Amino acid sequence: MAMLGKKLLFGLLTVNLLAGCAGKSYVVLLENPDGGTGKVVVKGRQGEQVIDQAGHGAALDGSGKAAAVPAATIEKDFASAIAARPLLPERFQLYFESGGTRLTPASLALLPTIIEAAARRPAVDVSVIGHSDTVGPAEANRTLALQRAQSIADLIRARGLKVHALSIESHGESNLLVPTRDEVAEPRNRRVEISLR
Amino acid sequence: MKHQHLLAVLALASGLAVAAEPPVGFVKTVSGDASLTFAGQSVKAEVGTPVQAGAVLRTGARSSLGVTFRDETVMSFGPDTELTVSEYLYAPGQGQLKMHGKLARGSLNYVSGVIAKLRPDAVAIETPSGTLGIRGTHLLIKVEE
Repeated sequence: MAMLGKKLLFGLLTVNLLAGCAGKSYVVLLENPDGGTGKVVVKGRQGEQVIDQAGHGAALDGSGKAAAVPAATIEKDFASAIAARPLLPERFQLYFESGGTRLTPASLALLPTIIEAAARRPAVDVSVIGHSDTVGPAEANRTLALQRAQSIADLIRARGLKVHALSIESHGESNLLVPTRDEVAEPRNRRVEISLR
Repeated sequence: MKHQHLLAVLALASGLAVAAEPPVGFVKTVSGDASLTFAGQSVKAEVGTPVQAGAVLRTGARSSLGVTFRDETVMSFGPDTELTVSEYLYAPGQGQLKMHGKLARGSLNYVSGVIAKLRPDAVAIETPSGTLGIRGTHLLIKVEE
């Protein structure tokens, strides 16, 4: 009888320890820095859970439904990781006069802001990404968008942009800001994006 | 160092062959003891250290690390953490988008970037007890052995 009791006790302890373990590895969904909340799907040994509410979390083994995680728990487990977060990246759009590589006056006026924003970032790495609209063949647009990106990269460096690393890219007509059919002239798609990280 | 990155990336953009792959991100914050291991070599993490696909990022006790990736994904790590950047593809022009990480232990603060925005099913974080499919969002993940 005493033996059976011991076995039972051991069994209960094992179950509790496992539950404790699962509780220690977990994920919490938070609101995005720019508002809105996404979704995370947990696929674990014990099952699959979907979390779609900010502040809710679940064990990584998928053993339990998503539930609210106390702020004090988040603080205890993640204060250091949260404090180490780099500055969030910034993105600027520059627009061209039709068909060429000359910036509109408004975009030209934005350059000092971009250069100052870059200077505030530690080890800033910058992408200059050219985009076109859908008028003309895709290959020609890829080349045109690269030329635009190159000319902007030259311009902002001549104006004093200091970078840790710089990449010049072309997405041609494959990454439209405003979705259109082929062969549609759309000034908002003729742009260069500057990503500061 | 600064100029080497610049040249490598510019050479790549102009179509010249270069030996090294361009980095997928850079270290932006470090406190205490943190390192990157890539191709069998370990370096101390410092602000500006490039991160390659395949790299293993580690932090020691009372240490932390923050990395920003090319697609604007931001990750930061608390103490005693190990994350492998298993796969990273970011070429929207060619339709190549993928980010897979493996968190072996520790704590991660994750803010999604352009890859998750353009292709929500292309981002996953693997852990010893389960895998997370991330649909464009901000997450905290803790793995305790």
